[in-house]
Parts: sequence; structure tokens; C-alpha cells
Amino acid sequence: MLRALRRCRPGPVPLPALPPALGPGLGPGLGPGLCPAWAPRAVPVRGRKTRHDPPAKSKAGRVKLPPPVDPEELLVVLERYRQHRLVLSALRAEFRAEVLQRQREERLAAGGSAEELEEHRRLMAWNEEQNARQRARREERLRKEEEEQKRRKLEIAEKQARKMEAFLEEKEKEVLQLQEEAKNFITPENLEARIEECLDNPRNYNFAIDKDGRIVKRTVLS
Amino acid sequence: MPMKGRFPVRRTLQYLSQGDVVFKSSVKVMTVNYNTAGELSEGARKFVFFNIPQIQYKNPWVQIMLFRNMTPSPFLRFYLDSGEQVLVDVEDKTNKEITEHVKKILGKSKEMLEKEERGRKKLSHPATFGPKKYHLRECMCEIEGQVPCPAFVPLPNEMRGKYKAAMKNEA
Repeated sequence: MLRALRRCRPGPVPLPALPPALGPGLGPGLGPGLCPAWAPRAVPVRGRKTRHDPPAKSKAGRVKLPPPVDPEELLVVLERYRQHRLVLSALRAEFRAEVLQRQREERLAAGGSAEELEEHRRLMAWNEEQNARQRARREERLRKEEEEQKRRKLEIAEKQARKMEAFLEEKEKEVLQLQEEAKNFITPENLEARIEECLDNPRNYNFAIDKDGRIVKRTVLS
Repeated sequence: MPMKGRFPVRRTLQYLSQGDVVFKSSVKVMTVNYNTAGELSEGARKFVFFNIPQIQYKNPWVQIMLFRNMTPSPFLRFYLDSGEQVLVDVEDKTNKEITEHVKKILGKSKEMLEKEERGRKKLSHPATFGPKKYHLRECMCEIEGQVPCPAFVPLPNEMRGKYKAAMKNEA
């Protein structure tokens, strides 16, 4: 049976709050939170007063009744509402499903069609090819650079070796020259002999020169 | 004050909209590894400086990351949503070549872009008027051939209720 018509049924019904007039008048068989179906059920609306203020004296015997309801009309109206809402929600669900379906189809169509994948693979292959070519070029360049480096190192080493050789040669020559000159050195042994020799052969270092630049070495030694 | 940076033209809308690389929807991340010095990275540096703003403008949902001086040679790496990674070696290439290459392998083709454009145009009818968000014109007075807005050009007296009422009262 409809919930709204429950108060027409004989018997007690659950109630959130008991009006004070009926509070002490509970009969047998009624527990707390229950009152007869015919009892007025109305929750007072707050106005100026808080819940702690007592109701006015003029309201002492007031019995508030809810608006009367025609059960048949209520039945009819509720049934109509139910059908209307059913139809509406069915329509909404139908439209929602259609939209989702369309979206799904579009996504599928845009996502992975065979020729697109094929195209993608072809482009990736082309990219790989380009990369491989670049790799080859790079390796070539690196190899050339390495060779260049080696050649330069070799050159430097050779130059170094040559320098070393030249230096050694120079030094050798100097040593030989010194050896040669050593033959003519004046040592304490032949000091006397050399002095005698010099005294015996006087050398004339004088020379004459005229304005034309002619040198005359044969002069008179005094 | 008005111009910022070395090449402020890169910040203009006209320059940005001239970028023609629109990535396919499967591209999610683009990573550029390049060096700040060296002859070989020159093209990559120019690409990062001039072309990446254009690319980001056209693809606001693609994440672009730049890594400097981490590898000896420059390269680009794209991460697609299928998990595939695409490596593009850009050593010894000019920035124009790089953009062409990228456009060829991962950019939307001209036909695809045109198709999308047409699809977008089909959704909205240019003859309707309404809120600026959805239509080109807001009021009927803005449409050519219609009565101009009375705020700018007063209506002729025959169309004004004030005049008509005055005439009726008089008669």
C-alpha cells in the first residue's frame, strides 16, 4: 500500500514527535514514538520563538491537521508521475548510450586504421635509415679525426727526433773542435817552451790603411 | 621595456602561428639533448632557440624537455603513447632540416589538418548569432543587411512605439 495512505489504515504509526496534548493520553498498546493513525501529525515551524520558549496560551487546544487528500486522486496522480518519470529516465539513458556509442566509434576510427599504422611504420623505417646514414657519416668523421691525430703525433715525434739529432751533432762538433784546439793549449809543461817561442818570433800586428781602404801589413816593427 | 630578449619576434603571435609542425595525437613527450658549444650542435641550438616556441604553441599538450651538455652528440627523442620511442639524430643538420624531418615523420599532414578544420567548421553555423563564445555575432543588428543597432542609428519614426502612440493619441 502507498506510504502516504498509511495514516488512513487502522493502527498506530511511527511519529517523530508527539504533540503535548496527546502525550499523557497514551493508551495501552502504544509505545513511545507511536501514535494512533488518526492523530494529528504536524511538526511546528520555527517562527520568532526558539525551541525552548513555551507555546502561547492561545494555542493550548490547537489541533493542526494536514491538508485532506483524496486517496483515489492521489493514487492516479502518483501512478501518472511514476510513468512519466520512467519514460523520461529511459529516454535520457537512451540518448546517453547513443552519444557514448558515437564517441567510441569515432575514437576507434581515428585510432588505429590499418593504413595509418602502415604509414607510421614506413616513416619510422625512413627515420631509421636517416639515422643510420648519419651514424655512418659520424663514424667516418671520427675515423678521419683519429687518423689526423695519429699523423700529427707522428710528425711531432719525428720533429723531436730530428731536433735531438741536430743537437747531438752540434755537441759532437763542438767536442771535436775543442779537442783540436786542445792541441794548441798552453799547459804548465810547455809554458817555458811557448814563451821562448813567442819571444823568438815577434809578430807584427801593425798595419796601415789609406783613404781608399787599401790595407798594408808590411810595416816596420819597432 | 616593450621588447624582451635577444629576438623578441619569437614572442609575437604572428611568428608563433607560422609554425607548421602539428604533432599526431599519439606524440606525448619530446626531448631534446644538445650541447651549448660545438659546431655540430649548432643546428640543434638554433632549433631550440627559434622553432621550439612555434612547436609548443601549436601543440600545447605535448611536454617538451631540453637537456644540455649531457651527451657528446645532439639528438631528439619522441615518446609516443604506445610506449614507442623515436630517436632522431640531428648532428650536422640545420634547424630548417630538423623541422622538416620532424614534420615528415610525426607531423599531421596538410590533408589531415584541413579535414579537422572542416569538421570543426561543420559544428558551428556561421549564420547564427548569440553569445560570443559560440557565435560570431551577438545581436541581429550586427548582421549585414539588417536594421542597425538603435544605439548608433536612431530608428525611423514609423518603428518607434513612442511616435506611434503619440500619433494614436493625437488622432
